[in-house]
Amino acid sequence: MQIKANLLEERFTSKETAQKMKKFSCISEMADHIFEEYKEKIALVDNGIEYTYSDIEKKVGAIRNALNENGIKEGDKVGIFYPNSADFVIAAMAVTSYGAVVVALPYHLDEKTLYGCTLKFQISALIYDSMSEEKVELAYKLNSNLKKILSDKIADGFAPSNKVSPDAPCAIVFTAGTTGQSKGALLSHKAILAGTMNGCMGFRDYDVFGQRYFLVLPLTHIFGYVRNMMTALYTGSSMYICRDTKNMFREIPTYNPTIMIMVPALAEMALGLTKMLGTKILGNSLKHIVAGAAVVAPRLAKEYNKLGVTLLAGYGLTESANLVTGNPDTLENPTSVGFLYPNQEIKVVDGELWLKGDNVFTEYYNDPEETAKSFEDGYFKTGDLVKFDDNGYMYIVGRIKDIIVLSSGENVAPEELESKFREIDCVRDCLIYKGTNESGNEALIFEMTPRMDVIKELGIEDVGAYCTQKVTEVNNTLLNYQKVSKIIIRTEDFERTPSMKIKRPKNIL
Amino acid sequence: MTREMIIEKLRNIFKMVNGNDNIEVDEATDLRTGLGLNSIGMLYMIIAIEENFGVRFENVSMGDFNTVSDVINYIEEQKK
Repeated sequence: MQIKANLLEERFTSKETAQKMKKFSCISEMADHIFEEYKEKIALVDNGIEYTYSDIEKKVGAIRNALNENGIKEGDKVGIFYPNSADFVIAAMAVTSYGAVVVALPYHLDEKTLYGCTLKFQISALIYDSMSEEKVELAYKLNSNLKKILSDKIADGFAPSNKVSPDAPCAIVFTAGTTGQSKGALLSHKAILAGTMNGCMGFRDYDVFGQRYFLVLPLTHIFGYVRNMMTALYTGSSMYICRDTKNMFREIPTYNPTIMIMVPALAEMALGLTKMLGTKILGNSLKHIVAGAAVVAPRLAKEYNKLGVTLLAGYGLTESANLVTGNPDTLENPTSVGFLYPNQEIKVVDGELWLKGDNVFTEYYNDPEETAKSFEDGYFKTGDLVKFDDNGYMYIVGRIKDIIVLSSGENVAPEELESKFREIDCVRDCLIYKGTNESGNEALIFEMTPRMDVIKELGIEDVGAYCTQKVTEVNNTLLNYQKVSKIIIRTEDFERTPSMKIKRPKNIL
Repeated sequence: MTREMIIEKLRNIFKMVNGNDNIEVDEATDLRTGLGLNSIGMLYMIIAIEENFGVRFENVSMGDFNTVSDVINYIEEQKK
């Protein structure tokens, strides 16, 4: 099956939106345009401070100047290391409009991993502020070529933007994992910009320019970076940055956003909390929630509809720079992930979705083997199993790649986690996969076979209790979203492939 | 407020967070392996506790809480 979606944007947007949408060849073109067009409008609200587009332009120019003074050239990799903040947005726009490649480093990386990333992604300079000095110290000690740009201490100055080719590399965004082994998807300027424009799709009855966004997703996640940050800037909207998600329902009513970009689990939680705390926690202006990055339960859209909020479910990956399908607001089919957005080609091969288009990433940086495995015939093989109905709606039915996508939008590389559990003395083999717990909720399941020789040697009587305790100890050292929430001790070996590898279950969505 | 009163209130919160009325909760219950809370489930729990108990979770990480007992200890400490 093959589909070419070269339809006019009007099918996916309102007339007002279509008239305002402009195509840019690189980020510097977009930056120059928005800074001129929206000058005095509020671009960001962070930590109680409002930044107009003009304010952002000055700060972006100052960082570009610092990049220039540090000898950074077009195409050099520049890491940015911030929590969600105005500083992240400013640094990302500065690096990409300068013509360098931004490496969006997740803020939870520890100092060793951060150092590993500077090597793996061949980072020439790191931009951060004084708050993070301790965390980056090791990288500077061990990597003497690394340039340091402290954004809260840079000198005044302004360097203009630099135009680059649409195919020039623009950003490296992590796909999964938290170690230096995790993959970084390299996206070109045209990919980021196509993804940014895709953020305008789906609103057929609504002008998406001049909105009020509320940011809760990490900016280092593609959905936070492109769908939230880039589309908000592209549309001259303002974006409130929520620094601590546990305060989001206190902050939403003070800012009153019109659009929120969420992962399904967050949308589910917000709905649950409206039942306990009332709908006031969503503010009085919220019109749309865009949910993606994981499978959206159909009942969510129905429940939000009762509150006067349209929840638009879609589908996308880091490698496709944002959503590539979505439900239009006038034609909801919440059991599906909607229609294919314009200007893309897809193929369905043995049930697997293959993608081609400007928005598709260039490569996994510094990983030719993985890159080669992921492309065929010019298409990116998504690893997701899909089907289409007669009306063109797409449905995700499963996943054949090993990366687990949680409803929180976080991706888990099971093999990376399993290697940590394999270090336990009593674990012979283990497997992590996505399933459901006793309550029917999504859970990471851990299955293991014990090393009975070790158990015997230690004189352990209760094998289950001992193994559970040891597994829990390791579990407690993991990041929250990586923690397993069900432990199964097997008495029989795992089912194995002909080459004796453990047969990994398909992660059914 | 006694520990028993706190756990009774927490039971209602866990039922809501978990979407299950039949969960068994005691002090030793592990939040993740016992109640199946993922990272967003933990966030949900914290927001619900803040609203219901009038306490704030400041300068702590979700990783600091492993069992129901850890949560009760924190609430007791904040209520002092």
